[in-house]
Amino acid sequence: MGNIENTLTGDVRFQALLEGYLRLRARQNSVPESADHLDEDTLSAFTEGNLTMREADPIVTHLSDCSFCRHKTAELVRLDLAFAEMDVAPAAEPETGTSRVSEVMNGILQKLFGGNEAAVFAHEEKPADEPQDDSEEETKDQ
Amino acid sequence: MNESLTKLFDDLTGSMHRQCEETAPNFAVTLERFRSSLSKTVEKALVSASASPLTEAELTEFLGQIQADDLFLAIACADGNERAWWEFDQSHRAYMGRVARHLAKTEMDADEVVDWVYGELYGTRVIDGERVSKFAAYGGRGSLRGWLRTVIWHSIVDMHRASHDEVSLDELTENAGEGAAHAAFAESGPDAEDTMIDQLTRDRYGNATVSSITAAFGTLDQHEKLLLSYYHVDKLKLREIARLAEPESSPLRDWFQRRSSNREKEPGARVHESTVMRWLEKCYAKVLGRFNEELSQVHGLRKEEIEICVGLATKDLAGGKLFRNLAAG
Repeated sequence: MGNIENTLTGDVRFQALLEGYLRLRARQNSVPESADHLDEDTLSAFTEGNLTMREADPIVTHLSDCSFCRHKTAELVRLDLAFAEMDVAPAAEPETGTSRVSEVMNGILQKLFGGNEAAVFAHEEKPADEPQDDSEEETKDQ
Repeated sequence: MNESLTKLFDDLTGSMHRQCEETAPNFAVTLERFRSSLSKTVEKALVSASASPLTEAELTEFLGQIQADDLFLAIACADGNERAWWEFDQSHRAYMGRVARHLAKTEMDADEVVDWVYGELYGTRVIDGERVSKFAAYGGRGSLRGWLRTVIWHSIVDMHRASHDEVSLDELTENAGEGAAHAAFAESGPDAEDTMIDQLTRDRYGNATVSSITAAFGTLDQHEKLLLSYYHVDKLKLREIARLAEPESSPLRDWFQRRSSNREKEPGARVHESTVMRWLEKCYAKVLGRFNEELSQVHGLRKEEIEICVGLATKDLAGGKLFRNLAAG
């Protein structure tokens, strides 16, 4: 089921239930294109993490409710990361192919126009292998 | 903006303009033009973002984050400055092509998109006798490259949709919601275990489950909802969410850090995938706790009944019934 296999602990059944609910909610909250959505300036500022606290709260609220805009930011993050990785390894495959369809675009199109459900769920999470030295003692909730 | 804010705005934007002019003296962007652009952005992004009065600190922070040189270039291009266009072309055309080729199906599509975006940037529409350049929509809040990437992404999605005009976004966002969830629970066929539970009980459990998970999710704060939605709906990987939280002024990073005692020790510490994982687990625990409370306190269910609720709902989800119902609209 989706992204939940590799969460380390917790009730996997409940996470599956929550995921089902969230997907349902996302469809319910997909507001039409004509509605007020975040513009390109705001989308790119959010994706780059370049927002002041005052701006951030209404944008986060909008994104948590509007799957249309949230999906755009998710795709832009993937694109950003894909480019960052390419920049790290510039010697990799040259970009001259004429029929190259990126994984990112596949994701977008699959999301927008449907596709193999199994493929959608095939998204896999690699276990985190980064050092654990950032462990935090989170403060009690609020 | 009151008088002191206006003075602060003028001082800061004056200083920004001087620096930009030093870097690009040939762009012919006047102080008035520069201020006018920033004033619109401040009004739209900052003043209207909250009902509380704008403070000097907020204005200073906001203007401090503006990508002034990129904005300067964009204004000059919008005004048709040839030197600026040359600079833009040298600095960004190759990048735009790279983004387009990464996203588009074919080289031809990529070229077409870049040409189309160039046309929009120059301005193909004339309103009230004035050419409207797409650059006017850039406010300098993110980098010009990030904005161009977003514009190209939109253009390619639009191009694809235009060639698949039988599919509308409306169809993708068909009516669904609690009703569909209730229906999904109700429609599940009986099996050996389910025959032990009559339909009325099943409906009751289904309604209680949907209502409780809705209420439990509703108690999360917006960042928690966003985090869960990115992970479960948009399928962002942990490292992708961590990437969103990486910049120091990221709202997600700020949220992670506001709740961490580590923030004062290491304010610039990296947000690792494991940090995101821990926050996800905290969210699960919070929703699960509230979910169980709702089922027991609001719906009067016993522990074993709660177990049945989760079991039935999970079975429906695992069998794909819920998603098939959604797809059918």
